[in-house]
Amino acid sequence: HCFSFFVQMLLSEKVGQLMDWASKRAVIRMNGDKFRRLVKAPPRNYSVVVMFTALQPQRQCVVCKQADEEYQILANSWRYSSAFTNKIFFAAVDFDEGSDVFHMMNMNSAPTFMHFPSKGKPKRADTYDLPVRGFAAEQLARWIADRTDVVIRVIRPPNYAGPLMLGFLLAVIGGLVYLRRNNLDFLYNRNAWAFAALCFVLIMTSGQMWNHIRGPPYAHKNPNTGQVSYIHGSSQAQFVAETHIVLLFNAAVTLGMVLLHEAATSDMEIGKRKIMCVAGIGLVVFFYSWLLSIFKAKYHGYPYSFLLMVL
Amino acid sequence: MAEQQSVPDGKHKASPKPVGSPVGNSRSSCSGAATAGSGGLSGGLTQPAGWQSLLSFTILFLAWLAGFSSRLFAVIRFESIIHEFDPWFNYRSTHHLTTNGFYEFLNWFDERAWYPLGRIVGGTVYPGLMVTAGLIHYVLNLLHITVHIRDVCVFLAPIFSGLTSISTFLLTRELWNQGAGLLAACFIAIVPGYISRSVAGSFDNEGIAIFALQFTYYLWVKAVKTGSVFWTIGCCLSYFYMVSAWGGYVFIINLIPLHVFVLLLMQRFSRRVYIAYSTFYIVGLVLSMQIPFVGFQPIRTSEHMAAAGVFALLQAYAFLQYLKDRLTKQEFQTLFFLGVSMAAGVVFLTVIYLTYTGYIAPWSGRFYSLWDTGYAKVHIPIIASVSEHQPTTWVSFFFDLHILVCTFPAGLWFCIKNINDERVFVALYAISAVYFAGVMVRLMLTLTPVVCMLSAIAFSNVFEHYLGDDLKRENPPTEDSSDEDDKRNSGNLYDKAGKVRKHVSEQEKTEEGLGPNIKSIVTMLMLMLLMMFAVHCTWVTSNAYSSPSVVLASYNHDGSRNILDDFREAYYWLRQNTDEHARVMSWWDYGYQIAGMANRTTLVDNNTWNNSHIALVGKAMSSNETAAYQIMRSLDVDYVLIIFGGVIGYSGDDINKFLWMVRIAEGEHPKDIRESDYFTPQGEFRVDKAGSPTLLNCLMYKMSYYRFGEMQLDFRTPPGFDRTRNAEIGNKDIKFKHLEEAFTSEHWLVRIYKVKKPENREALDHKPRLTNTASKQKHLSKKVSKRKRGFIKNKLNLKKGKKLNKKTV
Repeated sequence: HCFSFFVQMLLSEKVGQLMDWASKRAVIRMNGDKFRRLVKAPPRNYSVVVMFTALQPQRQCVVCKQADEEYQILANSWRYSSAFTNKIFFAAVDFDEGSDVFHMMNMNSAPTFMHFPSKGKPKRADTYDLPVRGFAAEQLARWIADRTDVVIRVIRPPNYAGPLMLGFLLAVIGGLVYLRRNNLDFLYNRNAWAFAALCFVLIMTSGQMWNHIRGPPYAHKNPNTGQVSYIHGSSQAQFVAETHIVLLFNAAVTLGMVLLHEAATSDMEIGKRKIMCVAGIGLVVFFYSWLLSIFKAKYHGYPYSFLLMVL
Repeated sequence: MAEQQSVPDGKHKASPKPVGSPVGNSRSSCSGAATAGSGGLSGGLTQPAGWQSLLSFTILFLAWLAGFSSRLFAVIRFESIIHEFDPWFNYRSTHHLTTNGFYEFLNWFDERAWYPLGRIVGGTVYPGLMVTAGLIHYVLNLLHITVHIRDVCVFLAPIFSGLTSISTFLLTRELWNQGAGLLAACFIAIVPGYISRSVAGSFDNEGIAIFALQFTYYLWVKAVKTGSVFWTIGCCLSYFYMVSAWGGYVFIINLIPLHVFVLLLMQRFSRRVYIAYSTFYIVGLVLSMQIPFVGFQPIRTSEHMAAAGVFALLQAYAFLQYLKDRLTKQEFQTLFFLGVSMAAGVVFLTVIYLTYTGYIAPWSGRFYSLWDTGYAKVHIPIIASVSEHQPTTWVSFFFDLHILVCTFPAGLWFCIKNINDERVFVALYAISAVYFAGVMVRLMLTLTPVVCMLSAIAFSNVFEHYLGDDLKRENPPTEDSSDEDDKRNSGNLYDKAGKVRKHVSEQEKTEEGLGPNIKSIVTMLMLMLLMMFAVHCTWVTSNAYSSPSVVLASYNHDGSRNILDDFREAYYWLRQNTDEHARVMSWWDYGYQIAGMANRTTLVDNNTWNNSHIALVGKAMSSNETAAYQIMRSLDVDYVLIIFGGVIGYSGDDINKFLWMVRIAEGEHPKDIRESDYFTPQGEFRVDKAGSPTLLNCLMYKMSYYRFGEMQLDFRTPPGFDRTRNAEIGNKDIKFKHLEEAFTSEHWLVRIYKVKKPENREALDHKPRLTNTASKQKHLSKKVSKRKRGFIKNKLNLKKGKKLNKKTV
């Protein structure tokens, strides 16, 4: 009886201390001493998730910084959720504060996430599989839900950067308009509007949205030969460079069409108009056939080409 | 508006409008008395207008014919058959409609889908397609032309493509001129971006919806131009048809308010716009709510709120315009800014408040994923899993639109340079549609019509200047277009038709032609480009978009063709050999086909309305056999159908889709299914020996590769070599405990397994423990041996001691 009472005492003391710290900071910083006493030592009725990390600038661990941010988001989501209990705590051990812990745990890479269950020793699955699952807070929350039954809804602090930038931009535009309120002709400049619309259309038709969603590399460099290929070999994918090329080609064809029209209608002298006309048809035909040949190279089995047979 | 650009007049030269054009009010920038006389191709003829109508009619007819025939590849190569997946459901519903009548169709509860839940078909479907097909069938039968409803369904989309090209012609004529309209009609008749959804046999909503879309837009432009209620009501009716046909009507109900809003911003407000939009919004709203599936959505969901907001804003704006006449300028300006910003603020806050309190549903996932492009991938795997919902590469743009994708920005340029009310519309149409097409491959369909129109404008602009001879350049008809009238009279109500226009002829002096050589070279090259376009379209249609995907074809080296009819073989097997009420489990892709062709009950189908049910099927497929058996028992599954392409190298099979099943199952059952279990430690998805053991023992793997390990396809590869994934399978010794193979099609494409009933389970591994063996057996043997007539169990068997006594005595 005396012993169990003592255990109860110790437990409530530990929980009280952890709660106290957790109320100050969502992620409890630990050194070797605290770690041994609160995480490793047996009488526990709480789980602890520990991030082993190296945040000091001289360690130059970029991933640690990013992982830490996600971890803070996760811990804060838990800390300020209505379901907050003392069932689980979030802690972090920095290499420069508790290198003995790293030795003790036989840890040689950072960041590492480990879960110390309330009963028994950590199993294999209690070490988070960082390379496979990534360090997104949502993934961490799933892993925790899996290991402890504590479901954490990750609430990211809203990202004010986007709306702020937009607001700033609008303010600048509004300010400019206000300053030039006596001379608002530039708003009626059709060339500017047409140019903006064309830019948007060309950006979209050259597959920039695909790049935005899929995030392909800019170009591919063959590690053996050192040759850089700008065009992806398959029709299912594309490089960023490739889309820029296509954008330029589309723009050139469009320009050619506009030049053809201008050549026929403008008031310039006939020589210039003839040059415009030849340039226009040249642009249209040349860039169209080049585009077609790129397409042919990507879309295997496509039989047609126009004037240009190479590539 | 200080800088009034003189509008390039060239566009009026080559193809003047017929005098008797159907444009009621010749505000149209392209028509008018001034243009009619100015020379043209048919200048020498006595009745140019008549000839032109004949020519237009012929061209449109030929476009229809070309569009119709280029959609027939599949019918000629295979047969008159319904394609793919969704069309099978549409066909089945149409069949139900024609056999049972309209009201039965509206009240149809389909107990054969989504077992055990069922599906209320009448209330969850856009009925426009079925009603259209049913109506055509009815009329044909009324005329004693007896065609099967299947043939009506197969040929509906090609026929509607002709109507689409006519409505595109009408719309482009309103926007630019007749020549551009004819080119646009020809483009849209054969452009692959539209053919992809409207080949013969592709009996889907989009086939008729694009026609409804274009026609609604045409009537809207007409309504804005004339400000007449007549055209607006026409627009509403067409909109009603669109709502009944396709969920894409949301595009219309957002684009038209956007148009009105931008017109307000550009200070192009006029009473025409007011009449058109007010009528359209109210009548369109009431009509769209008549479709059971749409119901109260137009007033209760966020997708429709922009239209309501613009409606309120327009009323406020019109009211202030009305006050303008009664107030001094200074007063008015203050009031105006106050009023407009107040109205906008109030509308905005009301919408936010109503959304917050739940009167207005927030954006549905499908629409939301258009804005936040990463949303679907994280939150709705079932949307992300559909290949049509992927973003679009430039190759797809070029593949579907070819030369049009490079030239349509030029058309947009011309439109914005010579802006007027309706060109604002087409510019907005182009910009919004190109955004959506970039986000989702499937929305290429809404981009295609506008690309055709704008490209046609670009090409016709060039041809107008280069096709004619130099004679024309010398007397350009330089009447200033109504665009300038627009600007001058932006506050004015109606532009007067046939207004006397001043003929500026300064240019005449400096005019000098480019010379016939350059012109003919340009013309020739342009025609060659268009020819390339036509060739490309035919090739793409023939090679990419004409496969029914129900029947597959493979080609040998010598060009001869093998037909792989495994799907129908398997579905007919189900139809003939299984109980009428048998329940077939398969992945949702095949639900509609099983219902349509095999006429059996399915658990999930392509109408993916219940994610948890799909996840349950996914869980069964990705669990091991014992766990799967429990799920299948609880769902009363009799047969399991899977698609396996390893024998012929068909890439669209279930193993390739398998990770999506796992993902969707994981979304609902994260405790039992984990995606990472199906990968190797290196994070690869492999079916060979290195594959993860969970994968190698899950139900889908076992069903796909059962007995496949014994099969050697050719001498160069080991037995059990999967041609789709180019790997020797890792688990060749597959045995089933709760399932048995029921049917495998000729090329192993479809495999069907029967789920055993519990009493058929295999004998226990150990001997059953016997108890009380001794006592009961005796009675039986007694009866046989002693041939008693009957006996009573456990009756005391008395032995009489008489004889014994005698003997002893």
